[in-house]
Amino acid sequence: MYEGIRSPAIHSPKTLSEFATAAHRYPQALVWAGGTYLMSRKDYYPSEIKDGIIDLGELDELKGITRNDRFVEIGSMVTASQLLFAGKLVLPEILQITLQSLASQIVRKQITIGGSLCIPDVRLGLSTTLAVLDATAEIKQYQDGKVSTHWTPISKLYNKDGKLLLGPQKTLLTRIRIGLEYGDFQRFIVVEDPIRNTNECVIVAFQATRAQNTLSKVQFCITFPNKAYHISKDIESKLSGQTLPIHPERVNSLSYELVTELRKMHGMISDLQLERARRIFESFLHELNSESLSS
Amino acid sequence: MKIECTIDGKALSLSVNSNKPLSLILIEDVGNRSIISHCKGKACGNCIVLLNDEAVLSCLIPAFRLRDATVKTFESYQKTRLYRDIQRAYKATGNTPCPNCYASKTLIIESILQEATNNRGNKTLGRANVSRHISNEDESALDKQAIVGELSLNTCQCMDMAEMLQIVEIALTYRRRKRVRGN
Repeated sequence: MYEGIRSPAIHSPKTLSEFATAAHRYPQALVWAGGTYLMSRKDYYPSEIKDGIIDLGELDELKGITRNDRFVEIGSMVTASQLLFAGKLVLPEILQITLQSLASQIVRKQITIGGSLCIPDVRLGLSTTLAVLDATAEIKQYQDGKVSTHWTPISKLYNKDGKLLLGPQKTLLTRIRIGLEYGDFQRFIVVEDPIRNTNECVIVAFQATRAQNTLSKVQFCITFPNKAYHISKDIESKLSGQTLPIHPERVNSLSYELVTELRKMHGMISDLQLERARRIFESFLHELNSESLSS
Repeated sequence: MKIECTIDGKALSLSVNSNKPLSLILIEDVGNRSIISHCKGKACGNCIVLLNDEAVLSCLIPAFRLRDATVKTFESYQKTRLYRDIQRAYKATGNTPCPNCYASKTLIIESILQEATNNRGNKTLGRANVSRHISNEDESALDKQAIVGELSLNTCQCMDMAEMLQIVEIALTYRRRKRVRGN
């Protein structure tokens, strides 16, 4: 049917050094992890793919999950389904809920952790939750046959609009590291389907530590999939050190501060999304209050 | 690109573009009639097939991942004994999906049945593994929620979710009975 289009060559490296060679030889090649995002693009097929496709499916080095006393390391080619199953005793609850929210089980078997984090223009639940958990990613950069490796916090991988900030040179996210010390209050909410209803979707992840009715280490991230990726250090620091219960008027003022901040920094967010974000944020604080009063 | 694979029990050698989606291969190259939509990965859920016995959205599988794979579409699945459990459940409830989504919804139900009967201990489908402190009642409720999540992969509105859940429950009973008899 599409006779004018050449079939792209498939390069299947089995080791990272083979990937380095392929990346050097075919700089324009498309790096393929699970393929769920690439195949859902309107222009995916039929289209010309220069330099072919580098398929990461046979890179066993990227498929491991390791754990020690301080952190868990997850290879970027581990699928959401594998991680959910393997990590049920290891991973924080918020991450498990996030993984379950990504898609149905049938699609989760195909979504890879690295692929989900490296979508160029849409942010989903995983990048939101991993930012809250202070996770870091190992990035390998391939330039002129040389490889450099560095660890970057997940929150620094994206700009305020949620666009991926990895440079123009060939880069590969090989694994992520999640510390095992996390807060005792964790919440994750996604409203609307981020794939089917991107323009109305809001994703919020929140965690905090409670010690003797005082909040500390508050971290939250609000994502509007194709519009904004927002972490408010200001409100986080205002919340850290607050004594529970927080006065309802203070909850109200903080939530409106958040809305003002979101409006100022991201012009694209709709009123519906703003109201949803505000109410979710408020509900977390009310929940903290009620738990502190009932304990 | 030449790809050797087995589709509906037939060993085929296909000459297709390496990045062509499986849904298009089935429609254009194989002439399969059970796949009726190509939503370009927008997850309409109408193109489900069994790839190496696991349910997948065929619009999200590229040709190069089909090397030596076994693909079973609804055309061959409906000839198996497994299909009878779901068919009987449709009859028992008096509800049947519309012709547009019949194949996909049936294969989604099949994947739920497989998950529920094979991995009962693992509970990868349910949320029961999330909280260690939830009661048994909560567990079953949450499992139901996960099943609803699976079923909503198909966006066709021809059936109510409660009806679908009833079909799954009845089909699961038939499948378990069959397993007990088999053992």
